[in-house]
Amino acid sequence: MKHHINFTVNGDKYSLAVDPWRTLNEVLREDLNLTGTKLGCGTGDCGACTVMVDGRTVSSCLTLAVSVDGKTIRTVEGMAPSGEELHPIQEAFVQTGAIQCGFCTAGMEMAALHLLSHNASPTQAEIRAGLSGHLCRCTGYNQIVDAISVAAEKMSESRPEKEER
Amino acid sequence: MRLPKFEYFAPKSLEAALSLLSEQKEGAHVLAGGTDIIVKMNHGRLKPKALIALEAIMGLKGIRFHAQGGLTIGATARLAEVAFHSDIVTHYPAVAHAAQVMANVGVRNMGTVAGNLCNAAPSADTAPPLIAMNAEVTLASLKGERRLPLDQFFEGPGLTAMEPGEIMTSISVPFPPSQSGGSYKRISARCGVDIAAVGVGVMVILDGKTCREARIVLGAVAPVPMRAAKAESLMQGQEWTQKLIHEVADQAAQEAKPISDVRASAEYRRKMVAVLTRRALEEAHERASKQ
Amino acid sequence: MMKQFNIVGKDIPRTDAPTKARGAALYTDDMKLPGMLHGRLLRSPLPHALIKNIDTSRAASLPGVKCVITAEDTPKIKYGNWRLFPDTQDEYPLAVDKVRFIGDELAAVAAVDKDTAEEALELIKVEYEELPGVFDVDSASRPGAPIIHYYCPNNISVNRKIKYGDVDKGFSESDYVREDTFTVHAVSHAYLEPCSALAQVDLDGRITLWTSTQVPYIVQCLLASTLGMRENDIRVIKPFIGGGFGGKMELRTWEVCAALMAKKTGRPVKFTLSREEEFLAGRRRHPMKIHSKVGFKKDGTLVAKDLKIQLDGGAYNAMGPTATFLCGNFGAMLYRYPNYRFHGEHIYTNKPPASAMRGFGAPQSLYATEIQMNIAAEELGIDPVDLRLKNAQVSGDKIPDVATISSCGFVDSIKAVADMSGWKEKRKSLKPGQGIGIGCYSFISGGVFNWFNTQYPFSAAEIRAFSDGTVHLLTMASDIGQGSDTVLKQILAEELGLAMEDIRITSADTSMTPQADLGSWGSRVTLMAGNAVLDAARKIKEHLFGAVSARFNLNVIHELECKNGRVQSKVKADYGTSFGEAVAMVQKANRGEPLVARGSYTPRDKGLVTPAFGFGAQVAEVEVDKETGLVNVKQMWTAHDCGTVINPRSVEGQLAGSIQMGLGYALSEQLVMEGGNTLNTNFADYKMPMATDMPPSKVVHVDTYEPEGPMGAKEAGEGLASPTAPAISDAVYHATGYRCKDLPITPEKILQALEKEE
Repeated sequence: MKHHINFTVNGDKYSLAVDPWRTLNEVLREDLNLTGTKLGCGTGDCGACTVMVDGRTVSSCLTLAVSVDGKTIRTVEGMAPSGEELHPIQEAFVQTGAIQCGFCTAGMEMAALHLLSHNASPTQAEIRAGLSGHLCRCTGYNQIVDAISVAAEKMSESRPEKEER
Repeated sequence: MRLPKFEYFAPKSLEAALSLLSEQKEGAHVLAGGTDIIVKMNHGRLKPKALIALEAIMGLKGIRFHAQGGLTIGATARLAEVAFHSDIVTHYPAVAHAAQVMANVGVRNMGTVAGNLCNAAPSADTAPPLIAMNAEVTLASLKGERRLPLDQFFEGPGLTAMEPGEIMTSISVPFPPSQSGGSYKRISARCGVDIAAVGVGVMVILDGKTCREARIVLGAVAPVPMRAAKAESLMQGQEWTQKLIHEVADQAAQEAKPISDVRASAEYRRKMVAVLTRRALEEAHERASKQ
Repeated sequence: MMKQFNIVGKDIPRTDAPTKARGAALYTDDMKLPGMLHGRLLRSPLPHALIKNIDTSRAASLPGVKCVITAEDTPKIKYGNWRLFPDTQDEYPLAVDKVRFIGDELAAVAAVDKDTAEEALELIKVEYEELPGVFDVDSASRPGAPIIHYYCPNNISVNRKIKYGDVDKGFSESDYVREDTFTVHAVSHAYLEPCSALAQVDLDGRITLWTSTQVPYIVQCLLASTLGMRENDIRVIKPFIGGGFGGKMELRTWEVCAALMAKKTGRPVKFTLSREEEFLAGRRRHPMKIHSKVGFKKDGTLVAKDLKIQLDGGAYNAMGPTATFLCGNFGAMLYRYPNYRFHGEHIYTNKPPASAMRGFGAPQSLYATEIQMNIAAEELGIDPVDLRLKNAQVSGDKIPDVATISSCGFVDSIKAVADMSGWKEKRKSLKPGQGIGIGCYSFISGGVFNWFNTQYPFSAAEIRAFSDGTVHLLTMASDIGQGSDTVLKQILAEELGLAMEDIRITSADTSMTPQADLGSWGSRVTLMAGNAVLDAARKIKEHLFGAVSARFNLNVIHELECKNGRVQSKVKADYGTSFGEAVAMVQKANRGEPLVARGSYTPRDKGLVTPAFGFGAQVAEVEVDKETGLVNVKQMWTAHDCGTVINPRSVEGQLAGSIQMGLGYALSEQLVMEGGNTLNTNFADYKMPMATDMPPSKVVHVDTYEPEGPMGAKEAGEGLASPTAPAISDAVYHATGYRCKDLPITPEKILQALEKEE
């Protein structure tokens, strides 16, 4: 039996009927065409599918779509403030060389957003710990860690960003 | 790698959840954070007819703490909440540590302590420190509630003392006695996304230089998280010395019943029980001495 | 030869990064087409069996299933990358008569949705007759072993030999001879994007295939031959790719099935593998058994080396023939071996096929070289750094009949890394449990070998210049995440004196981009595609220079240049005009004909291996917990020679990524197998290093200029995959006394060794 769910993604309201066995990852990618969120493993081990649900990062591959009824979701497509091309985290990823193949990027940026919303000026070690569960095969993580440091500085210079729009 | 088809329920009350569970019988599984159950379903190791989500039940949320009554962790309290809850960090650092080092950020944001226990993996990180701290679980069914010491809860890999129709509603941990300290030490080949190859949770209660009581719980070295009873008894009433700790650690290693798998060999696991037991006891002793 | 550059050598952000940063980059699995069907593959649960019968009738009649195929529905034409030698082509898209490993593909279904496709798979009934399997090189090469391919009764599918000098004489003249056997294990590419392919058929029956590949041209050609079609009837488009590392450089089953099923159904068909399938059946780095014998003079001078390597190839050749040659080639690299003999055997086993993976035979072969070098250094009483310096290859060295080394910064790399790491001091003064170790590498900048038997240039480029001052670069070179689109744009912008924004690029669409390019592997793109781009750019410049000379009535002896968006006299910049106007002049002179030039590069007279070698040296510092055996890598230092650094940040990204992979290879990654079955098919148990596992890293780019490279550049992508494992291994030895000859280094092995010592 399909379940009717209402939820908000990147500020847009959606109302749809989903089979209970469909994951949030599938619904975002296939029904909403928000393909910026990737699927790297399906077991919650790689982090590529990470999205924010009510301000918390979760693996969208382990989240049933039915369970997000009434919730607010933010994906990589909804990171940038309206009118801007890139969020400061995304801009920092571009500038520091944190992006190679780009497949882990959305999840990494979500992890960074979650980390910086709890800790505005993290140490290198805290950034690395905040990336636990996020695998990257290209960059060796160093430039990603740099990007998050740069973004933290940039973001604390400007006025504090609100967690959810 | 496709989820099997199932029905989904998200009852708003415990009563409704219990009714659903008894109606659906064996085919139904309870869903908390989903980080274990969805993976199992994805691999085809579990094909439930129905999932009953606990998330909408207000009474199962949250963490409560009183200096008299101790700690109560609701069934849907997430590992991330437990990991950084100030009372847990202060009074139950071993439990906080287990929740902090488990899996990864995303899993900790979704997964729950109750789920970690009910999944009953021998390597469940939260079990050893909770057992060491005398935790009890509350199990509810249509017949009523019962409390069970956590060290009687596990019956085998994936097997627990829960009866059909029961739901774990909370985990209770008494306030730690004075001059006590706990610790959890684990080992795995990588810092994150990892399943412990060995984990050791301990609690010691001191009486000056004497060890009044010690509880030593070993994870991932037996079909269930196990107490190292002989090792514990070696410590009781004894003066705390390095020599004693080494003997106790070796005894714990002898009691372990490890197997070899993709994560480590039995032999290595046994050796690590000794190392981690010693390190956990040292940390617990340091914490107890500060009290 | 050193030059001043405007754009080359600068930290230019990757031009695809903003698109990727905001999640707008489309990878194959992100695409969907109207009416698209979802495909799934049925894989063998047995490592070795005869297929007695496949009954697909129940699957085919399941509502929603639109197509089910087995080998019977295919033309049964074998494929493989070594098409110059058809004997090596041993793979069918779907198993014919026999399955040879757990995961071997037998059948495919396409259905209206994923759930139906999954359900249909379960309805296919296969009857097998199980055969005994062989799972290691020793049992597979033993007389009477089960035969995996009937054409190859001894299971040894490739024999390669390299020989020069007189090895036996060399050993007899040696003062010190050392013999060791090393074994190295299989690891996974673990690219984050699982393989995916989407095929569509047009009205004429031609196929368009979007696929996650490093080699669009190879896929185009092999797909055509496998389906009995003409090459130009296949169009392969490479969308954004989530990493390859050598794991996406062959035609694969799902690409064939997507194309064939699209043809049969008239509907688009997409296949995307699961991570479990990737680990269970995916390509991997070759496990090898390496027997190495080296002879030295007392003073440390190398005299001879005899190398025998058995490659555990798994069930099919895949890129194994190349790996078999290359591991022997790399065995002769780094140091001067006046007498050298190599024999490589590629052996079939009932395991998933091993294939190319970053380093392509070098990480295995150089692990043995470097560890043995360290053992020898200790026994000869010479510091490992000094022993290396004594024997290091230098520019102009010849490997007879194989290669001549052109630019070479190896000696400088060794000196620099020893210096920056404080080698001499640390080697003496570190406490027990702490250690420092060294590993070195050399790697090819693209292969000279033409096993694919292409009739086109190895790389090609087309440049269209426009009167608005922009140019459009078309190339089949494949950006798979390494950043080649950006690097090629940089080379072109530099050569034409334009800005990055002036250049548009279309890459890797076989119907649009010039024939051909062998793809992204063997660290060939910068050098080969870069040279093709330069070739085309120089042709454009000739046209522009002609027009500008005429317009300004320049003396024939005047030199012209493209600089800062202008085409002008080198000595008198006001004799010139903007790039766009110069293009317009050329067009006017040619009755409006667009200004287009094509360029190409094919190495000629560059030996058998490569036009240019990269070199480098790396030092690792570790701390070992002697109770748990856990290794903490505290610091890495690298000095390397990749010629001109075109994009420093990209090169540093390649380095850091290589260290991550090398760290995993040394310490934590392995495919745990039992009877042909892979036991750790997920990222929880396949332990790829995470951010918290990564050591800090320092790097020096040794300054060289490669005459054969575009603007002096050579490889930076793969060589660095080799030194990390031996450096860490040597550091572990220094810290604990445990010398690892069988990778990976596990805590258990360290503890066992420490116990033995006590």
